[in-house]
Amino acid sequence: MDHGLAIALTDLEVSFERDVRRVVAFTGVSLQAEAGRFVVLIGPSGCGKSTLLRVVADLLAAGTGRVQVFGKAPAQVREARRISFVFQDATLLPWRSVLDNVRLPLQVGNWRQVRRNNRQPEELIRLVGLAGREDALPHELSGGQRQRVSIARALVTNPDILLMDEPFGALDEITRDRLNDELLRIWRETKTTIVFVTHSLSEAAFLGQSVVVMGANPGRIIEEIDLDVRKPDNRIDRTSAEFFAITSQLRAVLERAYGDRAAS
Amino acid sequence: MRVSATWLWPISGAASLFALWWGVVVFFEVRPFIAPNPFAVISALWTNRSLLLLNLVPTATEALCGFLLGNLVAVTLATVFIHSATLRRMYFPVAVIFNTIPIIALSPVLILLFGLSVASKVIIAAVICLFPTLVNMIRGFESVSASELELMHVMSASRREVFFRLRLPRSMPFLFAALRIACTTSVIGAIVSEWIGTDTGIGVLIIQATFDYRTELLYAAIVTSSALALAMFGTVALLEHLLVRWRTS
Repeated sequence: MDHGLAIALTDLEVSFERDVRRVVAFTGVSLQAEAGRFVVLIGPSGCGKSTLLRVVADLLAAGTGRVQVFGKAPAQVREARRISFVFQDATLLPWRSVLDNVRLPLQVGNWRQVRRNNRQPEELIRLVGLAGREDALPHELSGGQRQRVSIARALVTNPDILLMDEPFGALDEITRDRLNDELLRIWRETKTTIVFVTHSLSEAAFLGQSVVVMGANPGRIIEEIDLDVRKPDNRIDRTSAEFFAITSQLRAVLERAYGDRAAS
Repeated sequence: MRVSATWLWPISGAASLFALWWGVVVFFEVRPFIAPNPFAVISALWTNRSLLLLNLVPTATEALCGFLLGNLVAVTLATVFIHSATLRRMYFPVAVIFNTIPIIALSPVLILLFGLSVASKVIIAAVICLFPTLVNMIRGFESVSASELELMHVMSASRREVFFRLRLPRSMPFLFAALRIACTTSVIGAIVSEWIGTDTGIGVLIIQATFDYRTELLYAAIVTSSALALAMFGTVALLEHLLVRWRTS
């Protein structure tokens, strides 16, 4: 396990060319996350939270500023196969069974050469609660089950950092709550760093050790809220007064983010 | 019960049209060399079975070889085009323009180039099924989603791995759609190629039967060529059923 910083972003700016105009995704973003932490990014659409995740995963290039993942450039960390990404849609290959989808990361990208220890696909399928469905094809599963498979696939490489882009955004609330419980259980067990993007206040309050609130136009970080004291051991009861207080605080900060946007 | 019911509908549809055909021929007393009645065609199929089979063998060989060659070249070209934007920009428009040449106008040219051998006929059958497969395969290879490509990138997959593990399996439904088209067109190509300078084949039989006013034999030859295309179509459908068991969400 790595000690020290998993992510260090310094004065980062990312922009796109869109119809000859330059659109700034976000600007002036500085953020640090220690290894093993559960960090949640929340904000209105267009605030660049997904873009930020993609820069860390080396799916997008940073414009100006510095990005370091475990003290290295994102591309190096990706090539060393230390990063896993969970997308909003499960992105399972529909011709592969559950088991073969979970095995996929071990079959590509020089897996043998990087000499990392993988986890057993069968064991992970059990961990995400799909034991017995190893031979099912994706179209035979529900949306929640498909997302469980994609989480198992992300974990099979035993990643040092797990990036999740609104993975439960398309699911109903009960399924989402249940998957949030399981995700925390998996996080405790694997000790991996997780950066989780969402626009659900209760999801952010429940999952995050720290919650980073972003605003739009231009995308930027508005506030970073550490919940270590209020959520000892990152555990909280969804029906408690403390949970309600955290959600309310996040709501107030987020409303400020929306308010700024209306003013600009 | 349900399986037999689904088969019953097209069979009764075909039977009703046969009855109509038979009724028209008998009622208007159409002379047999203008249009034979359906029973005459069935008996012609039986009495000329060895003649039909003898001519079916070269046509089937040409159609099948042309089918395999044309689709192989098409898939190869599609693979090259999706990996090289430059080559695609240079040669895809050429393929589009080449495709506008009617095959019947192209066949004399190919016969001049390759002679009256089987080769020229195979090439004509291949050319006719090349373009639909090329277009379909390019679309199939490109039907991968943005997040699928991002997934492969995060896993540091090479271009070869992206091709074999993602693009190729993704394109299978598109390939089979193209192969279904190619089944009928390759038979058309083989028959058209036989209309110029050859002495065996269903195409030759069609021309000879027409000039000899052996209309029931002409109809029997048409039925035989249709059966050939149908057999190829059935094989492709069966292969697709066995190989593509997945559905998108």
